[in-house]
Amino acid sequence: MSLALDLVTFAYPGGPAILEDASLIFKSGSFTLVRGPSGAGKSTLLRLLCRLEESGSGQILFNDTPIEKMVPADLRRSVAYVQQVPTLLPVSVRENLLLPFLFKANANITPPPDEVLAVYLDSFLLTGVTLDTEASTLSVGQSQRVCLIRSLLLNPAALLMDEPTASLDAESARVVLEKAAELSRGGMTVIMISHSETTPDGVTQIVSIKDRRLEYA
Amino acid sequence: MTPAIIEIGPLQLTLCLGFVLLAGITSIVYKLGLGRDLLVGTIRTFAQLFLMGYVLKFIFQVHVSWVVLLMFACMVAAAVHIIKGRVKERSIPFLMPTFISMLISYTLVSMLVTGVIVGAKPWWTPQYFIPLAGMIVGNSMTAISIALERLFSDLKSRRAEVEMKLSLGAEYREASQDILRGAIEAAMIPSINSLMAVGLVSLPGMMTGQILSGTDPLIAIRYQIVVMLMLVASTAIGTVIVTGLVRRRCFSAAQRLIIR
Repeated sequence: MSLALDLVTFAYPGGPAILEDASLIFKSGSFTLVRGPSGAGKSTLLRLLCRLEESGSGQILFNDTPIEKMVPADLRRSVAYVQQVPTLLPVSVRENLLLPFLFKANANITPPPDEVLAVYLDSFLLTGVTLDTEASTLSVGQSQRVCLIRSLLLNPAALLMDEPTASLDAESARVVLEKAAELSRGGMTVIMISHSETTPDGVTQIVSIKDRRLEYA
Repeated sequence: MTPAIIEIGPLQLTLCLGFVLLAGITSIVYKLGLGRDLLVGTIRTFAQLFLMGYVLKFIFQVHVSWVVLLMFACMVAAAVHIIKGRVKERSIPFLMPTFISMLISYTLVSMLVTGVIVGAKPWWTPQYFIPLAGMIVGNSMTAISIALERLFSDLKSRRAEVEMKLSLGAEYREASQDILRGAIEAAMIPSINSLMAVGLVSLPGMMTGQILSGTDPLIAIRYQIVVMLMLVASTAIGTVIVTGLVRRRCFSAAQRLIIR
């Protein structure tokens, strides 16, 4: 599944332009690293791709279809956006992971059984965290990974991650990056914002925002 | 046996100014600087109530349904104006939906109370309709301001949670369900609390008024019971409709949270 920006311009209401005639293609199975100084519009770029922001002019294409033509819930299910600050509800890890399945748009997807959820927790090195653990007792790094799992359970075609490793210890960060690479090899379009200088394995393109435009670094 | 109402004449009214004078002296002695406000407030109390008295007298005399309803619409408009003053949010247009839903739902509740429960004929008989409808509007005005203020502030402060749900495929209603519920609950609590406190802590104004004008207290309390229950119902209906309509406007057609 490919995502593309075609001459996209965006400004927050009453603010200066963040993006101006920005164009770029994220091919199916690509793993993109987005870099740039704070405030350059990296998060805005991800939010535009899942329509949590709407561009002033230009088009954003999901498999060559303008995203305005899609039902918002369908777009967001396919283009999973994982927030920079993990947001979990003050209930158990299980209830948090199954939250999306309560929504009407996801009614046709069968909620995964506990065994599947447990395998996910293990594969993200969430040892010590069980499905019954209260989410409010998790560390930021653990919460971040639970949020990531929650998005992956919907089987998205693209994964947008806003600095997923910022609050993770080295070992957990490695796991998340390896997962991201693995998912992109499996055909998922992965876009990740990172402040880190090192380039993780599997990255296929590095993009930066400069003078309100997107360019390959 | 109904005792005659003791009328308050011009002399007594003038004597009343002594109360204001007392408050004025307090302000001067303690350097509160409230003198000007007291003066303006007193003049406004006189002017507004006298004006209202003449307007009501006129409406009672002409006894025409549309005049009564026009008066009611003006009361609702005034309430919306006050709500506008209390709710600080300006980026979401909430005045028109508030006005329309208040007008429609409170006309219906007032109709029900005057026409069916009190049994006034016709239902818009101004002696019944205006005071009862007025209480509904006045009471739920407070509730609606609380609900809107809470709705807006929670949508802003819990933005991450709303957007998390949207990102996972929630529709705007699902994403903001908890927030809406909280806003309605916050708005309803005062009128439910007043159900608990009435008669113990406070003697309601309407009942007091009826008793002062010579009504048997046992009749007055029945009216008050009707009023209390009517107020709870109208608060519920009003806040549910207004918050529902206004919440819609906090999201774009693309189910994006607009309010910042």
